[in-house]
Amino acid sequence: MTLFTPAAAALPQGTQIQGAVVRQATIVFAGTVSQLGATSFADVPKSAHTIVVRVDSVLKKPSAVSLKKGDSVTVEVKDPSAFHEGTQATFYTDGWIFGSGVAVRELGHEVKPGGGKARAGGSAAERSFAQMQQQISDQELRDRIASADFVVAGRITDVHPWKVPKSAAVPYRVTEHSPDWHEAVLQIQSTLKGAKVKKNRMVVRFPGSRDVAWANSPRFEKHQQGIFFLKKDQVSGAPTAELGGSQVDAYTCLRQGDWLPMGEVARVRSLLKKK
Amino acid sequence: MKSFAVFWMRLLALAALALMFGTLFMLGQSSSIKVVNLIPASLSGETNQDSEPFLAVQTANPQVMVASAFTPNPVSSTGNAPVYVSQDGGSSWVLNAITPVQRMTCDITHAIATGENHPRGDLHAGTLACVASVTLDESETTDVSSSTAMSVQSTRSNVDQPFVRALAISNSDHIYVGVNDFNQPNGHTATVDVSVDGGATYKSVSVEARNTMGQDGPSIRPAVASDNTVYAAFFGWRKFDGKTATSDVVVVRDDAGGAGSNPFQALKDPSDNLPGRLVVQGVSIPWSNAPTLGQERIGSTLSIAVDPSNGSTVYVGWADRVGNGDIYTLHVRRSADRGVTWSNSDLPHTTIKDATNIALAVASDGVAGLLYQQLASGRWVTHLVQSRNAFATIQDIILANVPANAPAEQFLPYLGDYDYLLSVGNEFRGVFCASNMPDLANFPQGVTYQRAANFSTKTLTDGSGNPVAISIDPFYFSVPVIP
Repeated sequence: MTLFTPAAAALPQGTQIQGAVVRQATIVFAGTVSQLGATSFADVPKSAHTIVVRVDSVLKKPSAVSLKKGDSVTVEVKDPSAFHEGTQATFYTDGWIFGSGVAVRELGHEVKPGGGKARAGGSAAERSFAQMQQQISDQELRDRIASADFVVAGRITDVHPWKVPKSAAVPYRVTEHSPDWHEAVLQIQSTLKGAKVKKNRMVVRFPGSRDVAWANSPRFEKHQQGIFFLKKDQVSGAPTAELGGSQVDAYTCLRQGDWLPMGEVARVRSLLKKK
Repeated sequence: MKSFAVFWMRLLALAALALMFGTLFMLGQSSSIKVVNLIPASLSGETNQDSEPFLAVQTANPQVMVASAFTPNPVSSTGNAPVYVSQDGGSSWVLNAITPVQRMTCDITHAIATGENHPRGDLHAGTLACVASVTLDESETTDVSSSTAMSVQSTRSNVDQPFVRALAISNSDHIYVGVNDFNQPNGHTATVDVSVDGGATYKSVSVEARNTMGQDGPSIRPAVASDNTVYAAFFGWRKFDGKTATSDVVVVRDDAGGAGSNPFQALKDPSDNLPGRLVVQGVSIPWSNAPTLGQERIGSTLSIAVDPSNGSTVYVGWADRVGNGDIYTLHVRRSADRGVTWSNSDLPHTTIKDATNIALAVASDGVAGLLYQQLASGRWVTHLVQSRNAFATIQDIILANVPANAPAEQFLPYLGDYDYLLSVGNEFRGVFCASNMPDLANFPQGVTYQRAANFSTKTLTDGSGNPVAISIDPFYFSVPVIP
């Protein structure tokens, strides 16, 4: 596990938590250990590695999860000997079991030297954590840029259904998960990553289907503008498309977040410059 | 004497408190019928469309159950997709992220096998992962309460809609997975994956013997009887124009658990002497991957159930379009001679207009159960029908009756391409999906919510008092088999 320097740099003095841990953690809270070798609700298997922690403040959680100050959480810790009743720490965790209460697995923790109040309990620490989250979000965007063949800002000028040809490597099948491919013609306004494209136009394939398999994929409409993170089409079974009477490479834009509103263009440019 | 009176005063006060408390969480619940919203209290803030439910019961210990739905991993886009686990007979459920699929499955069914004596559930699952391409995993865990991800026993791509059943034969588990397998030659895609060694090895058996339009319909449904008889029903698609499939409803049978070298050949149709009895021929099944029946899509609802005590009695149900102004009509037929002959018209009370998600089960005393969801007067109405005389006379109870226009669809399917019903002792148990609006009028048999809900104001909260939008949730139910 490598140290993620920008995030780590944002942490206050004495911080040992690595950036990757912070990035991976889905539930982060400051709390006080109330029981060792115990669990906070039935259905969680009790072991020497499970402890019960009373939540002092919640720093990060998905909105679906009910967790608030005063709740008791079961934490499966890596090293039980690092804790005793009354230990105050910030817990970086991942979700484990969700029932009448919450059980999580420790990815890392920070104990304030001297056993005082946990680091992240105060507003300054919360601001620091928020800053760290922003840096992690930037890193995720960097990763998205790095994995894309093209990153362009542009506008959709046409949308039409596209039928998979019989010659395609992936033949058309009638299933509820069929993507119902559509093609969007993208007029490029600026290329942020990738070589210049002939006539500044590209074909982007996207699923028109409302099926669960494609529920998070971006869908496009004529005149829609934004930033597109594009990959060469390796999904539909036909890697090229017809555009203005010529065969050109087709691209896809399938993951949630592969399209961003135009307002994000300055941030994307900034991250590209820092690369 | 005085202390005796104080004791009774305290007991009465305690009883009154218990009654008030119980009323909050088990509103209107009758003592014999149980309806439970599966979303745990700790996920009270969720607003997902948790559609397409399924259920598995550990028959050796029916307190242990596993349910599933299109429920994403609640905290991580890279974590495992979860299942719901109950160890108290369905009164409470926890979410345990153990399937081999990342974040959320795009199809999941499962069964708990009992031959290998795993007291906390030997769960076999068929899951689809839909990231760019569709991948089937057939997987197992021997302890559903464990947090260890299920181990994948078999995997392949280019298949659709796995449907898992299991049967214990002596000390071994037989697993049957109906799949629409596009890898099969000649468009004979209706397939049953058979394992007679607890999932260690699978053999894929095409059960289609006739010409198709290039493939069969998505639903291939196995059913197993305790005498080692295995049936499977499927839609033999003969023509398809993009909007309507002209289909036969076909039933195949194997008398040796599918273990022979040439399985599922036992039933031949007298019209062409090919394997697979044609229960009906040439019905019109609308195929619409868009909101068509209310906010739900339609195209492939099919169920088969065998009497667990008498492998000769088998029921099959499906939906098609009759053409009398209907959108989608359910039908049920019955065979009492191992699928050789079938009732030549729908059983009484089983031609049901504008309904979907048919699920059949037969109790050990021969009572047939029929679960379905009907769009009626702008509402989704979930029925459980029971009969002990092939539906000549019935008991029909409504489990849920909810508005069909809210919440708005997030994706398809809205409620699911299926729900599920099975029999356990003297109960029918099952799962369905519905709007989670906490309104007692929507649940005529009563309901228990684990998630934070205020039935007085008919609002959901996140556990901290903040309002939460309504969404589609999975519901478990248990209903006594009629006497």
